[in-house]
Amino acid sequence: MQGSKIDVRTKLAIVLCLSSAGVFLQHVYILIALMVLTIILALAFKADLRKAMRSTKRLWYILIAIVILQSIFIRSDDAIFAIKGFEILTVTGLIKGAEFFLRVSIVIFSATIVATSNYRQIIQGLVQLKVPYDIAFMVSIAIRFLPLLKDEISQTLVAIQLRGLDLKKIKISQRLKVYYYIFTPVVAGVLKKAHELSMAMETRAYRAYQERTSYLILKIKAIDYLIIIAALLITTALFIMFYVFKFPGRLI
Amino acid sequence: MIPISIKDLHFSYEDKKILRGIEFELEKGKISSVIGLSGCGKSTLCYCICGIIPHIIEGDLSGTVKVFGKDVSDARIAELSEKIGIVFQNPDTQLFSPTVEDEVAFGPENLCVPRQEISSRIEESLRIVGMSDFRKRHPHNLSGGEKQLIAIASVLAIKPKILLFDESLSQIDDEGSERIKEVMLDLKKMGKSILTVEHDLKNLDISDEVLLLDSGKLKVLDKNKIRKEDVFYKH
Amino acid sequence: MSFISIKGVSYSYDKGREVFSGLDLEIARSGMTAIMGPNGSGKTTLTKLILGILRPDSGRIFLDGDDIGDMSLGQIGCLLGYLFQNPELQIFANSVFEDLSFVLKLKGLTDDVIGQRIDSILSRFNLDEYRDSSPFNLSFGEKQRLAIAGILVNEPSYLILDEPTTGLDFKRKDELGQVLKELMDEGKGITVITHDREFVDDFDAEIVLLSKEGRICRDQK
Repeated sequence: MQGSKIDVRTKLAIVLCLSSAGVFLQHVYILIALMVLTIILALAFKADLRKAMRSTKRLWYILIAIVILQSIFIRSDDAIFAIKGFEILTVTGLIKGAEFFLRVSIVIFSATIVATSNYRQIIQGLVQLKVPYDIAFMVSIAIRFLPLLKDEISQTLVAIQLRGLDLKKIKISQRLKVYYYIFTPVVAGVLKKAHELSMAMETRAYRAYQERTSYLILKIKAIDYLIIIAALLITTALFIMFYVFKFPGRLI
Repeated sequence: MIPISIKDLHFSYEDKKILRGIEFELEKGKISSVIGLSGCGKSTLCYCICGIIPHIIEGDLSGTVKVFGKDVSDARIAELSEKIGIVFQNPDTQLFSPTVEDEVAFGPENLCVPRQEISSRIEESLRIVGMSDFRKRHPHNLSGGEKQLIAIASVLAIKPKILLFDESLSQIDDEGSERIKEVMLDLKKMGKSILTVEHDLKNLDISDEVLLLDSGKLKVLDKNKIRKEDVFYKH
Repeated sequence: MSFISIKGVSYSYDKGREVFSGLDLEIARSGMTAIMGPNGSGKTTLTKLILGILRPDSGRIFLDGDDIGDMSLGQIGCLLGYLFQNPELQIFANSVFEDLSFVLKLKGLTDDVIGQRIDSILSRFNLDEYRDSSPFNLSFGEKQRLAIAGILVNEPSYLILDEPTTGLDFKRKDELGQVLKELMDEGKGITVITHDREFVDDFDAEIVLLSKEGRICRDQK
């Protein structure tokens, strides 16, 4: 499946189905299956998984914290590691932690599927779904300028270190001040860009009228309908299986 | 109708007097250039002409600026954009769409131009600036000069009769600048009226008329006898 | 002896394009050197390598005899001052005084010592009247002076300026030229990365020309 041939709205539907299933179906086996499914779909759409993987790496720390907290606060008799009767690590805790991790990963990885469309298509998809153009446009501007912002932040970090500030040796009491110094040029830069951007947009008649035409029009094709219906059916089936038939039931 | 007619224009911003009685007329089919030191008010003058002042930037404005007979303060910027296009200095903050085609379509889309016509306008604008092959490319990866050409095409798609270039060449290398100047000459041949604001004297070779903005006033210079010593160092 | 010494440096981008292969370059510790070349010849990459922002794939770079591979950016900043093409990226505070002094303050110097150092730099760059104003209200040329002043607080012996004349009118270029001449008279060495042949000709500069393949042709004036 070529990422660009499937309509954006179809991709949005898929992501919605995966994410809601991931959030509401609270069983670790289902979540593992969903995760695998998400990765397969992402690969099928030729999504950029590396970025998603980097984002999830940062979750590991939160994961460990959650595992420990759940172990401490939920009474269960399956301790793996305890100090004087005080449970620090339980099987329950591990499973809960895994569920959290999988849930968030599913959302992140499924989002990469939408990212296979360029952002003009994403705005148009949202607009044709009746999202107001202004909002969709603001979102696209944010997407467009995020990489530039990242560049500027890294340049500022370089500049401030070249002034003799060793970022690894800052006392905790000074940290806040240093963030202020780093953010001042970044914020100033953002404001300047926003100002220049708005002048460019207004002088090209942005918001001249209540409506605007769109050169790019997305057309839903048969295959899109197929995929959306399939996704909805499968998701509904999963929900029914879990909530009505209580399968696979509660693990804990 | 004279494209641009300015009479006794004064503008102050936060108690600083920037323009002190500007008198100017831009003739049809001509390229006029305004030069002057940084901070003398060249951009301010452009903004007063295309309506950014007073509609986006506020300040103390008096005098009249008329575009094809209509007072700029009375017209909305969107209306003015169909008569005057402006190309700014920074190529990066004028382009915000994922492809060149989307970027050039932006203006006509805002003006509710029908899709068929948008298509032909995109073709025409890109042809004029010589960037037809770049239609599906990402503006992000283009050189500074190429980005400015796309910015020009995006402005041309609205079909304005007057074009302002606010220091559009100052961040572009020599090769890019030459290409852009050729486009400006083509636009002049098409009957457009052009005002450029410059601080680099070597970009004045295409100008029909050169004016110096100094102490808030405009003075016509002899375009064949401009030397930086005369212009910038007399005091 | 040269101040910047590049020995056998090779560097390729992530996507495989090789920018430099076994590059050798010596830059003198005094006077002006100009690095010129068409877009894409690697001028910016070379600068980033010298500053230690990028690590070479092979080869070594020495500043004043020391291998920069062992140095942090902060240490490099005390030897080499770098001016970005956009000076606004180097404005860190909301008052000119604070922008120049904040690093010293964070390092624990007393207000008296800081005051003396900064005030003398302010008057040197004609920025006295702006001492307490916001740097963001300054003109482009003044912001550039402020950025240069900020770099000089660390008293580096060498400066690298990236396209400093882009966007400057004649008067500002002359003023910048004055500042640079004064710095060179004090014994500081300067490298400029630029397209502006005219500016560089005024300085009797040593020209390093980079070709599109990342090779050097030197042209001594």
